Amino acid sequence: MNQMGSPALNVRAVQRQLATLLPEARPAATGESTLEIAGQGNDAPRLISATVLEGGPLRARRVFDPPTAGFRAFLDGTQRSELVSYLGGVPIILGRVAAVVRERRLRRMHTWHQALVETRLYCARQLVTPQAWEALSVTYGPLLVDITDDAADLASHPFALRDAAVHRVQGHREELEQRLAERWCNMEHDPLFIDGGISGSEKVAVSSCTVGVVKSHRTLYAEGEALGAVLSLGRYERSSVFRITSPRRTTVASWYLRLRDPRGHDPMWGLIRAEIACPQPQDMDRIGARADEVSRWILAETSPLALPDARWDKMVYGVRDCEEYLRAIN
Amino acid sequence: MSSILGRVVATERRPNTPHEFHFWTALDSPVGIGTIVRVDGRDPVNGVLPQVYGVVTEGFSWTDLASPLHDVMGHDGSPDGESLQPTDRAEIRLYTAAVLRHVPEEPLQPVPMGTVFLADEADVAIALRMDGYLREGARTGIPIGVYRAGGTDAPIYLDADFLIGPEAAHLNISGVSGLATKTSAVEWLLQSIFTHFPAQKGSVAAVCFNVKGPDLCYLDQPGEIDAADRALYEKCGVPADPFASVQYYAPYKSDGVSLNTLRSNEALLDNVTPLTWGLREVLQYAEVLLNKDDVDAKADALIDFIKENVLDKKFSDPMLERVHSVTSFADLDVWFRDVLRGLEKKDDQSWRTHHVATIRKVRNRLSNISLRCKGLVADDGATSDLPFGNFDDRTVYVIDVAGLEEDAQDLIFARVVTKLREHLEKRDLGVQHVVVFVDELNKYAPGDGPETYVRKMLLDIAERGRYLGLVLFAAQQFRSQVHRRVVGNSGTALYGRMDGDELATPGYAVLSPAIKTKLATLEKGQLMVRHPHFTQPIFVRFPRPAVMRGRDGVSQYPSAASVPLETAVLRTLRTFDPTLTLGWLQDTVQLASDDEILRARNAVVRERPQDVRRAFASHFRAAVAPKTATRAAAPSPLPAAPSDDPYGF
Repeated sequence: MNQMGSPALNVRAVQRQLATLLPEARPAATGESTLEIAGQGNDAPRLISATVLEGGPLRARRVFDPPTAGFRAFLDGTQRSELVSYLGGVPIILGRVAAVVRERRLRRMHTWHQALVETRLYCARQLVTPQAWEALSVTYGPLLVDITDDAADLASHPFALRDAAVHRVQGHREELEQRLAERWCNMEHDPLFIDGGISGSEKVAVSSCTVGVVKSHRTLYAEGEALGAVLSLGRYERSSVFRITSPRRTTVASWYLRLRDPRGHDPMWGLIRAEIACPQPQDMDRIGARADEVSRWILAETSPLALPDARWDKMVYGVRDCEEYLRAIN
Repeated sequence: MSSILGRVVATERRPNTPHEFHFWTALDSPVGIGTIVRVDGRDPVNGVLPQVYGVVTEGFSWTDLASPLHDVMGHDGSPDGESLQPTDRAEIRLYTAAVLRHVPEEPLQPVPMGTVFLADEADVAIALRMDGYLREGARTGIPIGVYRAGGTDAPIYLDADFLIGPEAAHLNISGVSGLATKTSAVEWLLQSIFTHFPAQKGSVAAVCFNVKGPDLCYLDQPGEIDAADRALYEKCGVPADPFASVQYYAPYKSDGVSLNTLRSNEALLDNVTPLTWGLREVLQYAEVLLNKDDVDAKADALIDFIKENVLDKKFSDPMLERVHSVTSFADLDVWFRDVLRGLEKKDDQSWRTHHVATIRKVRNRLSNISLRCKGLVADDGATSDLPFGNFDDRTVYVIDVAGLEEDAQDLIFARVVTKLREHLEKRDLGVQHVVVFVDELNKYAPGDGPETYVRKMLLDIAERGRYLGLVLFAAQQFRSQVHRRVVGNSGTALYGRMDGDELATPGYAVLSPAIKTKLATLEKGQLMVRHPHFTQPIFVRFPRPAVMRGRDGVSQYPSAASVPLETAVLRTLRTFDPTLTLGWLQDTVQLASDDEILRARNAVVRERPQDVRRAFASHFRAAVAPKTATRAAAPSPLPAAPSDDPYGF
């Protein structure tokens, strides 16, 4: 199997170990859904204005040329956070993350090099006894992560601790994805479809062979008329290219693209946001053509459908394949 | 070592068991229904890594689609839109295999997780337990065909002990007409038996009943086979030649002159022998021809009386006008007339406790036999029969009954098989084992219908024949319609292309849907084999028999046209003495009746004398007393005229 990473740990195994290690720990009920499912969608929606790079205000632009297959591979990651036990009121959470690049050869998907799979145990050091933390450290070593190490004012509400752990797991997943993406950029030159943004890693964000595709729109990079233009995009239409900047992330060029006919659906139906490396000033006039080209690549991936995934309107089949692969090995 | 073909998988919903397991393969793997595979287990049991052999019985394929509708939507409802898809959906090939053998056999456990390999020739031998009877020095394997899958060509052997006996015996072959190649399969298997039957097990011959067309009429003539067939022959170690020794038997047509067979071409008559029986032979099997409605207890008693007291004996009775010596149907009719006349004279209703009505009924039925079986049953009591007691090793005896009425077929079948059995019991047949091939078993041993002598006899062979060396090879279109005890006692079963309706009957419930589908679409030359050593059915290919096909034989050796009596008799006699001429025969028989000529011919055929000319002529009286021609005496010379005769010139 093409995987490497932490030794396999699962909830039952950790619970058994904790029963010996810390008899006072109370195991959580198993079989519950993951914390990602329980706590999803809690981010507040935001609107952020962005600088348009393509000239004029942000507006809809038709992608005239037919879709064409341009991506050689797809990258995606998964995460799974599960409640293991409580030490008093402090949750101990097992986070398992994985990432994979699936390469397309002769229309079939194959794993590129190795998938990455890692597991970590999350606990709030400040809220448990030093003896308990010591016992956990001895047993789990580098796999043990303190979720309070950079959040001194972390509330001791168990739900807040859980959310903090899930946030750490998410960060771990992004780290794995970036590691794989950077490896691709080092070794390959063909286009890589990355599920999610690319701005988290500078190496990836400036590479010409990576394209990030964001499916969630809790943050929309448009306001006013521009927002209306984005939400009313038709099939095979994209928005003008704009720049996304962030203090802790690398600047990238981005645009919205409607993959499917939105008639009869909500405004977000089939809407994705693509991210590519921000062009150098001398290449800025070609950003529109580049956006059209990448849009055609993305549109080509709308078939076959990613059904039965609920996000099939925005998800491409290659990403679904990554998720299925990771589900199989994880 | 071959490359890994697949991996064993098991889920809670689809677990592996000791008799079945599942594995997946790459999409381009050469696995198919009927493929034999080997599983190498990962974890040792009792210090031994287990190996499991199986045969694929079912296959599954699916994609990650949850509903077909999703694919329709993905193509916008247009089936030709596939080329737009840059990626093929993830797809799986999952197979179910039935276990053939565990190594080691104990402990018998569910099939372990492990890697799956295509079975090579050695694996096939182990999987089918053929290694037990292919050992040097104790080899009893009879090739039935070649198993072929994924580049593996492995001969499949049947165990002679279980095909010919005594452990088990008999073979049954089923399949639709024309496509299942049942007759070809039996011809091929007989060739294989004749080649590979172990010398230590003794001699073997075959008796084949040709019940339809020219199927078995040219077994001694070479047929056309292609390179692929030759390769199969070579793989199985069987020479691609026609049968070296074949003897044909056929009754005469109703005219009593020409043989009732499609093998009547003069060029092929040298090994064709007429089959004629007299009263003695027929009366022994009267119940074959007389059903229970005809023959009640009273009639049965009279027939027994005739067999015991009249047949082949000098019979006299005060009531009868003369002493009778009954050896033929003609004699018997004379005897009956005498008895009935005597009763009329006495104005009596019974004779020797037999009622006149019973006598008339039995006379009617028995006399009728010679009419119903005309050509086979000789009025004159002449008998020309199979060489019981002198059967030759590796010889096929074909009895052509294709052109006969059903009654006559039944009679021939019953008598021949009974005689074979009698001689095998006495161990004086000439060979130790006889394979009897019967086609259309639906007709002779049906699962329902009235109890007939032939069916009883077939049941008897099926159940007890193996102890005697009497082996039944039977073929039929619908196995489900054959008596269960006949097919149930067949140690080996072959299946060619099958009819869908037949496969839907309960007898095929043990086969998976995929196996049934394969059976319904089998090519010519393919068979599914069940054999006591094989725990699961196996598919094999067999070559076309290296004998002339029936329709080729008919066109190459057309049947002899109807000819005058003298010509027909001459043809028969010339098989014994080619120097005979039509002129000689016509001179010899010029004053004889047709019956006398036929009787003389039958005698020659029966006795096969050294001097055919003299033996045949001895049956006819001379037309006139022989007399040597002499030259007439010359007339006296005229007296010379006197020299002084005044009227002289």
